[in-house]
Amino acid sequence: MTDTSQAHSPSAPAEPTPPTPTRRAASSAFNGASVVRFLEAYALVLITIAVAIFFSVAHPASVAFPTINNFNVVLGNNAVVLLIALAALFPLVSGFFDFSLGSTAVLSSVLCAGLQAKSGLPLIVAIIIPLLVSAVIGLLNGLFVTAFKMSPFVTTLGMATLLSGITIWYCNGRTFVLDGSSALISFGSSRWFNLPAVFFVVLLVAVVVWYFFRHTPYGRSLYAIGSNATSARLVGVPVDRNVWTAFVVSALIAGFAGILQLGRQGSATAVDGGSLLFPALAAVFLGATAIVPGFFNVVGTVVSAIFVSIAVSGLTLMGASGWATNVFNGAALLVAVGLSTYLGRRKLRGKG
Amino acid sequence: MVSTTAQQSAAGGDSSAAGRPGPPEDVALRVAGLNKSFGSVQVLKDASLTVRSGTVHALLGGNGSGKSTTIKILAGVYQADSGDLDVRGESYDLDGYTPATAEKAGLRFVHQDLGLFDDLSIEENFALDAGYPRNAAGGIDWKRLRRRVAELISAYEIQGGPRTPVNRLRPADRTLVAIARALQDDESGNCVVVLDEPTASLGKKESEELLGHVRRRADAGQTFVIVSHRMQEVLSVAQDFTIFRDGVVVGELVDAEPTEDEIVAIMAGRAVAALRPTGSISHATAEPVLEFRDVAGGALAGVDLTVHRGEIVGVAGLAGSGRSTLLSMAFGAVRPTSGEMRLSGAPFAPRTIEAAMKAGVALVPEDRAHEAAFPDLTTDQNLSMSVLRQLWHGGLIRRRESRANAERLIRKFGVKVAGPEAPFSSMSGGNQQKIVIARWLQRDPKVILLDEPTQGVDVMSRADIYGVVRDAAAETGACVLIASSDLTELHALCDRIVVLGGGRVSQEVAAGEVSVDDLTALVLKAPQSQKYTEQYTEGSPA
Repeated sequence: MTDTSQAHSPSAPAEPTPPTPTRRAASSAFNGASVVRFLEAYALVLITIAVAIFFSVAHPASVAFPTINNFNVVLGNNAVVLLIALAALFPLVSGFFDFSLGSTAVLSSVLCAGLQAKSGLPLIVAIIIPLLVSAVIGLLNGLFVTAFKMSPFVTTLGMATLLSGITIWYCNGRTFVLDGSSALISFGSSRWFNLPAVFFVVLLVAVVVWYFFRHTPYGRSLYAIGSNATSARLVGVPVDRNVWTAFVVSALIAGFAGILQLGRQGSATAVDGGSLLFPALAAVFLGATAIVPGFFNVVGTVVSAIFVSIAVSGLTLMGASGWATNVFNGAALLVAVGLSTYLGRRKLRGKG
Repeated sequence: MVSTTAQQSAAGGDSSAAGRPGPPEDVALRVAGLNKSFGSVQVLKDASLTVRSGTVHALLGGNGSGKSTTIKILAGVYQADSGDLDVRGESYDLDGYTPATAEKAGLRFVHQDLGLFDDLSIEENFALDAGYPRNAAGGIDWKRLRRRVAELISAYEIQGGPRTPVNRLRPADRTLVAIARALQDDESGNCVVVLDEPTASLGKKESEELLGHVRRRADAGQTFVIVSHRMQEVLSVAQDFTIFRDGVVVGELVDAEPTEDEIVAIMAGRAVAALRPTGSISHATAEPVLEFRDVAGGALAGVDLTVHRGEIVGVAGLAGSGRSTLLSMAFGAVRPTSGEMRLSGAPFAPRTIEAAMKAGVALVPEDRAHEAAFPDLTTDQNLSMSVLRQLWHGGLIRRRESRANAERLIRKFGVKVAGPEAPFSSMSGGNQQKIVIARWLQRDPKVILLDEPTQGVDVMSRADIYGVVRDAAAETGACVLIASSDLTELHALCDRIVVLGGGRVSQEVAAGEVSVDDLTALVLKAPQSQKYTEQYTEGSPA
């Protein structure tokens, strides 16, 4: 261990700080502590690789698991969930919950399909309108939460219920099926470099969001707001405006996710938004235990989304049926929140 | 010169008139040979503590000196490595000592945050702690509860009824509720109450009121142990002192009336000069920087004040006199309802905090934990928050630059922290405050507004902070406006002090013209703002 006693030497006049493990952990670069830190940050990456290797060799999954086809299915199916996870990062980083993202995506998907199938509008218009609607939803959420100071939890829960009701009314029991020749469908099923195009689009969004959070004052200010909104206000951060923007950007990404979902599936109907939102939240919370442990972060979110989808795919191929996704997502979410609470507490106690 | 001696003897007169210490053998609490290590570092070395029954006993020492560790061991939060504990002649094994043992031994703790349920009534606060009395049917016997609580309320002279919600009480009364609650089952009066920073969130007047109550309870035979950074208050209320430094007890004063300087010298192991007026010529110039002209709003009814380049001006006044409001106005956080502010000669009416910051104004807020800290973020991130835009060029936030900057500031301000990556919350209060001040001073502000800059900061860090503020005024020519309830602080630091009363500047004195006692008298004599009560409730922590 390093020499913490210097803090107590008479030449250091003011307050020898009580020795917390931090002092020892952080003051030396090449000891056990740094190994622990590395493991903490990259454990999820290592686990993901281990799981992938396991399913590649474990019978009977090994037949189908390590094939490019399966990889395509895994990445394609989970791209939309990952996109919603990226959307959910914005309010969560700023310390707010947004339950309406799943319903926003479903409404956007149904609207895009309906405007083409029912109203016969051209594709570009059928994309722009749902995106605008999504932005308005974000605007309203932001208004309620910032200007009216309503509880984000209840507000967005109400919004989610409201949106799903509107979606059901709009569908009126029907499923809108896109014309097979639609450009959206051909994009949804196309491949670049042998992988789903949708996946690259989501990856691109992830890079932009990552840049946003890591390299812009705006992104940093969201972390500050999430940590202490009053303090943020008193260092000149326009808190309300930034939170509001976060809700709008978040809803826009969710709306975009709905349109990609339509491209993948070719049809849309009033499904439950939770089926999209909850796996996404699981990815975000699980992601907060990796890369930058204790904080919601983009790379962690991407890694954990990939981890969950690989694990579920492997389990399915080993014979687990429909329940596997939910059980795995649920368990991962509980473990993730437990872990990040623990890490967060440790951080607050200064043992990070 | 400061007449701390005079003040002390006045305060000492208080306690000696009250002093009815039991016979010397009447010891309520005795700790001996206390040792405690965290990892390889010993934080308590053979520490001892003897508390006489019916006295107020002060534990003093800088942050990390071991006094908090001692209290946490007594509370059963930490396990001692070795040591003996006697309470009222009965010895307790420190091995396997838990909070329950502490409770049984008759030790009661009132922490700084009080641990009250703010939204609930006084009676519910009592009942949640000791259990609800039941009636014959098994329901809650509200009548009995109310009667018992009403008795306690009158015994403690709390201004409120059993059904008054705690958040409607004045801060001093809230602390009394916490003390009364801790002692509600102590009929014999044998319990020892440990008060941890009881006055940290109180203004001067409320503190005096609270300590007056403590004094009276002690005279009636109750035993108190008090921990506080506010030296004067401790001196005014305590009879016995145990002083810690670096985990060792370096001073035990029994029935003593030491001066503040004597205590500080023992705490620091040296004389701390920065805590007194420098006596040197101030760096104030005749060039006005920040001007208030008939500014009104909140408790303020028309303030005229000019702060010059290089000048340090103190704002004194009772709680609710509008001290903080004045600062918030110059920071764009509150808009004046009438009047005019000027900055460097030009009209200045910041609509937002951002605008005020751009104009060169900086504010260190009063409540560090709630208004300045990003507890879970790193020290680096806490520092860089005020200069994010400057760190953002070429479309990227320059992390290396930010880190180097943080390392430079940590060195410059003498902050004790593991490194730029250590979380803000890992630091002690004094070091956190230094980081918050560094956050603003790195912007080279023209106007530095400090609201209670050393609240909850130990005496050594306080000296460092005074030095930093003086340097800023001298070197960059910033004008400094300090609002503080600690008149010793204003007296030590300022070139000029204005007293707010009745919403206006009621008095203005130059440094060295008055003693702290005179200053106290000026503040107390200042007319009260008509909006006193209203402001008071607004300003008090929810």
